[in-house]
Amino acid sequence: MKTVMEGSHAVAEAVKLARVQVISAYPITPQTHIVERLSEYCADGSLDAKFLRVESEHSAMAALIGASSTGVRTFTATSSQGLALMHELLHWASGARLPIVMAEVNRAMAPGWNIWTDQTDSLSQRDTGWIQIYCEDGQEALDRTLQAFRLAESVNLPAMVILDAFFLSHTYEPVDIPDQAKVDEFLPPYEPKFLLDPGNPCAFNQLAPPDVYMEMRFSIQTAMQSAIGVLEEIQNDFSEIFERSYGSIEPVECDDADIILVTSGTVTSTCKEVIEKLRSAGEKVGLLKISLFRPFPGEAVRKVLSRTRKVAVVDRNCSFGSGGIFAQEIRSALCNVPDHPLVYGYVAGLGGRDITPELLEDIYWQTKNTDFPELDSFWMGIREVKDGIICSGS
Amino acid sequence: MLQFRFHGRGGQGTVVATILLAKAFFKAGYYVQSFPLFGVERRGAPVEAYLRIDREKIWIRTNLYNPDHVVVLDKTLFFSTNVTRGLKKGGWILLNSDSFPAANDALSGYNLAIVDATRIALKHGLGTRTHPIVNTAMLGAFSKVHGVPPMDAIVGAIYEEVALRPEANMQAAREAYESVRLFDGPAGAKEVG
Amino acid sequence: MKNSNRANMCVPLLIPRSYKTSEENKTGSWRFLRPRYLEKTAPCSSACPVGQDIPRIQMLAVQGSFKEAWELLLSENPFPGTCGRVCFHPCESACNRLEFDEAVAIRMIERFLADTASRYELQPRLNKLAEKGKKVAIIGSGPGGLSAAYFLALLGYSCDVFESSNKPGGMLRWAIPFYRLPLKVLEEEIARIESLGVRIFCNHHVEFEKFKHLRSNYDAIFVSCGYQKGRRLNIPGEESPGVEDGLTFLRELKSDPSSPSLHGSVAVIGGGNTAIDVARSVLRCGAKPVIVYRRRKEDMRAFGEEIKMALDEGVRIEELKSPLKIEKKESGVILTLQKMKVAGIDESGRAAIEPDNTDPEIVSYDRVFVAIGTEPSEPWYVCDSCSGKDIKLYNSVMRFDGQFPVIFGGDLTTEAKTVTNAIASGKEAAMALDVLFRIGKDFVLPEISRCRVGNGLSVSMEIYLNGERKNRVSHVVSYAEINTDYFNLIPRTPQPRLLREERINSFSEIDLKISGSVAMKEAGRCFNCGICNHCDNCYLFCPEIAVKRQDSEEGGLRAINYDYCKGCGLCVVECPRNAMVLEEESA
Repeated sequence: MKTVMEGSHAVAEAVKLARVQVISAYPITPQTHIVERLSEYCADGSLDAKFLRVESEHSAMAALIGASSTGVRTFTATSSQGLALMHELLHWASGARLPIVMAEVNRAMAPGWNIWTDQTDSLSQRDTGWIQIYCEDGQEALDRTLQAFRLAESVNLPAMVILDAFFLSHTYEPVDIPDQAKVDEFLPPYEPKFLLDPGNPCAFNQLAPPDVYMEMRFSIQTAMQSAIGVLEEIQNDFSEIFERSYGSIEPVECDDADIILVTSGTVTSTCKEVIEKLRSAGEKVGLLKISLFRPFPGEAVRKVLSRTRKVAVVDRNCSFGSGGIFAQEIRSALCNVPDHPLVYGYVAGLGGRDITPELLEDIYWQTKNTDFPELDSFWMGIREVKDGIICSGS
Repeated sequence: MLQFRFHGRGGQGTVVATILLAKAFFKAGYYVQSFPLFGVERRGAPVEAYLRIDREKIWIRTNLYNPDHVVVLDKTLFFSTNVTRGLKKGGWILLNSDSFPAANDALSGYNLAIVDATRIALKHGLGTRTHPIVNTAMLGAFSKVHGVPPMDAIVGAIYEEVALRPEANMQAAREAYESVRLFDGPAGAKEVG
Repeated sequence: MKNSNRANMCVPLLIPRSYKTSEENKTGSWRFLRPRYLEKTAPCSSACPVGQDIPRIQMLAVQGSFKEAWELLLSENPFPGTCGRVCFHPCESACNRLEFDEAVAIRMIERFLADTASRYELQPRLNKLAEKGKKVAIIGSGPGGLSAAYFLALLGYSCDVFESSNKPGGMLRWAIPFYRLPLKVLEEEIARIESLGVRIFCNHHVEFEKFKHLRSNYDAIFVSCGYQKGRRLNIPGEESPGVEDGLTFLRELKSDPSSPSLHGSVAVIGGGNTAIDVARSVLRCGAKPVIVYRRRKEDMRAFGEEIKMALDEGVRIEELKSPLKIEKKESGVILTLQKMKVAGIDESGRAAIEPDNTDPEIVSYDRVFVAIGTEPSEPWYVCDSCSGKDIKLYNSVMRFDGQFPVIFGGDLTTEAKTVTNAIASGKEAAMALDVLFRIGKDFVLPEISRCRVGNGLSVSMEIYLNGERKNRVSHVVSYAEINTDYFNLIPRTPQPRLLREERINSFSEIDLKISGSVAMKEAGRCFNCGICNHCDNCYLFCPEIAVKRQDSEEGGLRAINYDYCKGCGLCVVECPRNAMVLEEESA
């Protein structure tokens, strides 16, 4: 059924359709609408799940680690500081190989206090062993959440479905809500490969000395790598059932492009319009959307980018002292390709600053008109400010 | 693509108005996108919400800077807030007011439509006596001013989305549709409707 | 549906998990300390003259099981409505919570339970044993006599109670003012005792000849005539008109509801509860009472709270004044008072006094009431010296006239002359006679000792009847043995009362009713010392999951699986109320 709904509610709808059994979350803007809606579903009985109210995000993740260990399907949602507070337990969830699914609404880290979109929160968690999928619109948020459950449960790793604050989480647009029967076909009940069983009590997650620890880590790495292929197969099933498909990446007009812009999240949508405009003006420009960030689909990225001359990566995030994080990933994916294209890194739109079509065009022209990227990352739209203590308006 | 900006105060149902309109337009076959001003929402404080409609999928996902038309749910905002900021010339300003505003140069080049949505909301018992909720009345007026979405789409959206007293809200929308007054350029104040 | 990835993809999964079930590791083999469930005695129960199972009553009240809690009260005491009002609640002074914040309002909850039962006209399930074919005569229908009758009836004996006055109840009926104990409460409780088949013969004064005659018709006699006679001052002028016995005043006041009108200044000589009751009644009759007491206020025998309320109502206390003589004058009496001074403090903290050598004070009053204590009204009632043949129990004395058993109880034998002590002696006497009739004289003392609650003077009928409570050990739980980490500071619920202005003009009951939710909240403050209230801390804390929640062989709801219990003692430490014990493993 097609209806107009908010991105947050699209995620909640997917969680309901996935017949999640345990939810635990702590409210934080801009994630709140997701769990608000889910708590309503739990209260009115339309979702038969246990909703655990907890006192912090750390506890929410701890509760789900316990719940998931018993072999049930679990979900949480958070943002920014809340995600940071979970950090320790994010490692635990992946190390324990628990297929917990989380909606992460990208929000800038404080201070300065900021509730607007920025990917630095989720990207700070890239080494925790969580699958990360970035979404472009409400439909993708719904579909990716469904896929995330199946992917996580297939490879026994936790997964984050990531949404831009407000531009996606609070924006109403048409979303097709699939039939429950179809979702049930795509996503059968979770069959745990191991579980806490009172009938067969075992010790879990106990001491792992040097002679086994490394193999356990290797197992995570191998599972993570396999997730790329598994997702592809899941996509095949998904498109067969729902007649929509997504890749781990999505190239637009890349075949003959001299310059390819790389984006993630909602910027991709805006950029599609820019590409169309530039193409109609005769510019040979393409767009590569990165959906799957962990595991990083390096092979697929190389296939698309190695033919072009210049790559301009738009990063709504920053690893201080290095630069945009997507740009780093692209560079490392390309560096062993002979005659690889130049990679231009652009940092833009931090803390919710708008990334407009004009700004994306600027990035294109700057890339086209610069022979060689002088900086690892170029910060777009930086205003002249005096050094010192800035008192911004409320 | 048409872009609308709504001005109101927290608690008047401004955001809900854009959501209802989005749904009504969607029913009428449009692709829609609506969102509030991203930020902190407080009761009584000025709020903004936005609506984009198009016959095709809307790709742009940025803030809305140059609306084609604006809707003002609270007449006190008419002068305290720059409601014509970025407004394209020839655009309509739909204002909730019981009277025609005093002549104002800033309004030249725009069309003005006036509806006494507060009176209508009070009459139909929407909200409280001190804080009437005017959003559904404004939707009726909107439909008259812009010719879209058709009233049956608005009524459908109200029935689907408004849990509390949908009948009264629907009547308010209809009454506003009938009573909104359209002026061709506020300076001349020539009623055209 | 293909779900091909599920079937074909081989995703590595190496997690830190034991290969074998951890059940193979019998951690019980490490144990050298063994925990077990062992219920103990709460200090309140031990201090309660009738040995009420207070922690369990609170536990039931918290659960809202008001009827069960009330029945538990009735299993040890036929007068919960009365004691819930007039008992001097030594339980509350012994409450471990006192060291934490404030004692639990145990008496208030007892009254609530009794009132609730009365309000809903609940019928208790009382376990009446088969008739034993023996008859017991009971002299005196006060709390002691009626309690003996109640418990003897439950144990299967037929009882006749002989009362010298025209109505049963003894001091409860004649001495305690209505503002402390409404008549309806007493009459309902007496009716419940009568419903068990107990016959009460009023206007049957038993003098010594009659007493001897009773022996031929009964198998035993329980003597509980109380201390009915007011003590005398033994000073000149005591017989003057205008000088009256306080107890007599109270009795007249209670027999005639249209209270006499008093006026002017009235002296009440004495420092016990009767003196306070007289003074407060005098006040309600319209006069200004002054209590004249030879020691200090803090040495008075009356209950502290009664003194406080009396002062609040406007009763004056003249302390350290001893009457020397009384003279009659035209309209009233003149009292000559010797000022006293403290000449040391005795072991119990009371002042020893002596005249302070100043000139006596002469004060005139309209009337004088004497309330300096009571004594048995007939000499043969006295049972203060025990011969070697007597069996001296905690609250009563069993004496043999030849082979005929006579038990003395109530004020005649109890150390503290209170309602609750009298009830305790009646219950003890019933148990002692049952032992005597069933298995013989030699078993009386050991059997009664077996039923002792903790280390005090109280005995329990439930223990006597081999109820579950017999499994509790007599060790009295101390505050140090409570794990207070599990309790929050919560102030004691104050007893709601009539306003002072409402009190002083009528004999309406002062203490008001409380609601069920207030009672549950107050009962929830109870530590439940020494008994398991199913908090499940043991179950939750056991690191080996060795605590099983199921019916155990010992009868409890929880059991320890010693195959896995490694004796870490966490369960014992985390038991908030010392209902467990950790012992060295026997080799």
